[in-house]
Amino acid sequence: MNNEQGLRLELEGIVKAFPGVLANDDISFSIKKGEIHALLGENGAGKSTLVKMIYGIMKPDEGTISWNGKPMNIANPKAARALGIGMVFQHFSLFEAMNVLENIALGMDEKMSKKALEEKVVNIMQKYGLSLDPKRVVSTLGVGERQRIEIVRALLLNPKLLIMDEPTSVLTPQEVAQLFNVLRQLSSDGCSILYISHKLDEIKELCDSATILRGGKVVATCDPKKETAKTMAAMMIGTSLQAINKVKSKDFSEIGFSVNNLSLKGAGDFGVSLKDISFDVYRGEILGIAGVAGNGQNELQLVLSGEILLKDKAKISMNNIEIGNMSAKERRKHGLCAVPEERHGHAAVPEFSLNDNAILTARNRQNMVRAGMINAKSAKQFTTKIIDEFNVMTTGHGASASSLSGGNLQKFIMGREILQVPDVLVVSQPTWGVDAGAASAIHQALIDLAKGGAAIVIISQDLDELLELCDSLAIINEGTLSQKQKVGVMSIEEIGLLMGGVHGENSSVSSSQKKVMAQ
Amino acid sequence: MQIRFEKKLEPSRKMLFATPILAVVLTMILGALIFSILGYDGLGAVREIFLTPLTNSLKWQDLAVKAAPLIIIGVGLSIGYRANVWNIGAEGQYIAGGLAATGMALLTHNMSGWYLLPLMGIAGMLGGMAWVFLPALLRTKLKVNEILTSLMLTYVAVQLLNYLIFGPWKSPTSFGQPQTVLFNDWQILPYIIKGTIVQAGAPIAVLIAIMAWLIMSKSVFGFQVRTVGSAPNAARYGGFSENKTIWLVLLISGGLAGLAGMLEVAGPFNRMVPQFPAGYGFTAIIVAFLGRLHPIGVLIAGVVLAITFVGGEIAQTTIGLPNAAVGLFQAMMLFLLLAGDVLVRYNIKIVRARRA
Repeated sequence: MNNEQGLRLELEGIVKAFPGVLANDDISFSIKKGEIHALLGENGAGKSTLVKMIYGIMKPDEGTISWNGKPMNIANPKAARALGIGMVFQHFSLFEAMNVLENIALGMDEKMSKKALEEKVVNIMQKYGLSLDPKRVVSTLGVGERQRIEIVRALLLNPKLLIMDEPTSVLTPQEVAQLFNVLRQLSSDGCSILYISHKLDEIKELCDSATILRGGKVVATCDPKKETAKTMAAMMIGTSLQAINKVKSKDFSEIGFSVNNLSLKGAGDFGVSLKDISFDVYRGEILGIAGVAGNGQNELQLVLSGEILLKDKAKISMNNIEIGNMSAKERRKHGLCAVPEERHGHAAVPEFSLNDNAILTARNRQNMVRAGMINAKSAKQFTTKIIDEFNVMTTGHGASASSLSGGNLQKFIMGREILQVPDVLVVSQPTWGVDAGAASAIHQALIDLAKGGAAIVIISQDLDELLELCDSLAIINEGTLSQKQKVGVMSIEEIGLLMGGVHGENSSVSSSQKKVMAQ
Repeated sequence: MQIRFEKKLEPSRKMLFATPILAVVLTMILGALIFSILGYDGLGAVREIFLTPLTNSLKWQDLAVKAAPLIIIGVGLSIGYRANVWNIGAEGQYIAGGLAATGMALLTHNMSGWYLLPLMGIAGMLGGMAWVFLPALLRTKLKVNEILTSLMLTYVAVQLLNYLIFGPWKSPTSFGQPQTVLFNDWQILPYIIKGTIVQAGAPIAVLIAIMAWLIMSKSVFGFQVRTVGSAPNAARYGGFSENKTIWLVLLISGGLAGLAGMLEVAGPFNRMVPQFPAGYGFTAIIVAFLGRLHPIGVLIAGVVLAITFVGGEIAQTTIGLPNAAVGLFQAMMLFLLLAGDVLVRYNIKIVRARRA
């Protein structure tokens, strides 16, 4: 694949420290010309920091960055672009009210006539098979199409190195395949690609080599084609994974939780409206709700947990009690526990102790309240139980939630809800940002809870997690929920099409979507 | 060049306790400097304001009298501030409480019995609560900032006070003085220590601070207030209603300010007079912050601010310091405390300008 010899980019001994953390510790690796190089690591491994230094957003404390063999001081992103380094960020910076071409023109360093620019843009799109109408207004475009604008923007500069930051986290499987085609073509034209991800299968499929970071250090540089997903995961995480122990194909009889024709107007300009959502979850069943971020998941979580109240109490019921108008506190008393997606400031109060964070949701179910006063002893007992049973690494029950790492705090939060033994559990992103070892412990706890007769709803963007964990699956898209189906009945392609919803540009999408919905 | 504030990972606990003390000490030093430059006896002023009230045992009873309303109002405000509800109109609620208690006293003027004072106390609290009703309603229904509404209502209370004592409540025997009649013996607070001017207000203040401490640290309500203040989303998730919390803390702070008003009018004044608004409601804001929004801290801070009040009066007669000097000292204390807090919570870095 390497048409030319030599190295495009070489990093040597890069060090970058922030108050309290060493984000990058003596990082060295190199990228060949035309190579697709993966930068692999968990959240917080130091990937973003490293990339920001390559793109000139930050400066390394120590170490050298060499470009085409020459040591460089990349002062700012403009200088990086002048060298031929392009970057596509995870979060796009686009103006919703403007069309594709206007957005691209705004990001240009050099002035160019509108006509010349359009010609160039169309050329690039044709060359790389990026289908996109330059006159479309951005607000009408889906996430995959928006990403293509950012890619075109980067390609206009004729980059020699393209940095892609977690490009597939918001894409459907079909969009991912299209993106990979573009990247492969770029690579064969001699453009190097630094591909940041923590999705092992993608890296195996796409990349020529991979550098794995853990805790700010390089643990290995390897050929992903020669590794298995498991071995790379082990390098990324540092511990071996536990196999999940799950009983397949159960029969359920008793409905534990049901939602009937739930509609909700989205709040503000960016809220998603929920449209006529209905589903039942049996006792013992785990229902997964898949979907690309921002399609109504947050609203659904809030309305199910009782943080948004409904006027009509019949819309949500559990154990044959109508709870649609009950507060989160009342629902908990009836046995519905929940975990929202955001840990800091929502599922937990960062500056509170773990003890206080246990009181936050468990005070009534764990008998911590007598005559309006909090019983410190039972709070401490329950907190200690969570720490012990969920292996939370902490200095003790008095440690503040903010002193815990993200994964440890998530273990604590999940433990807090699971140990209350709810009849219904509604969880968003149960293992988001959690290392694989902790994730499998959380998965096991969820499965055990279901085995005990709880009805569980998991809202997640991680399709692999849902397929592994859930008995049945429904897909949310623009506030509409597809019919629930047994896992294994739906193919990945079908799921992808449903997730893409109306955004897919393939005309067969809508018809096949109807087919699935009709089943 | 650019100055950048970087949040410290964990502010030092020791410094969190030390900053209020440092603020007071720095206020003394800077105050001495400023008044020396202005041509007064700066050192003498600081000595008279901060030390004489402590060293002269005759002044201790004055301290107790001044500290009581500051503590009662400060405790109420600190509970609200913990929930991020910024009632700064305690002065208005204090006046409204005083007026309501006066109204009750005038209504029951020809009655006698032990129950008159409790009745006035309840009236005072209801008066203070009535004065937060509008800010609470506007904040919870329309998201109108309570800082503005509560402050503006203070001036309404002052006008109401003037109207009543110049008009319908003016005593027929006061030779045209704008004041009400003296309350009857059952309507005046008992003296706690014989031969002094210390009335029931002082022990009530201590009791309220201790009760507030218990409630804030041990009860579900205290937990609710802290959670709403720290993380509103987490509070909602934990089953606490933000609006209910706003109502409760406003009613508590308004009610306590109203009670302080009742204790003043039934204590040192014995009648309603135009001099009734003494700025306690505003000074209590400083008390709440200097006490780190902790009821026991407020108790201590109330005494410190009372010292400056009493000391200011001493300095007026002994060194001829203007009355406004006390306000200057108090403001400096709050300013230095807030500035000190920034230094405790943030690292300050000076960054050389770099071309972007």
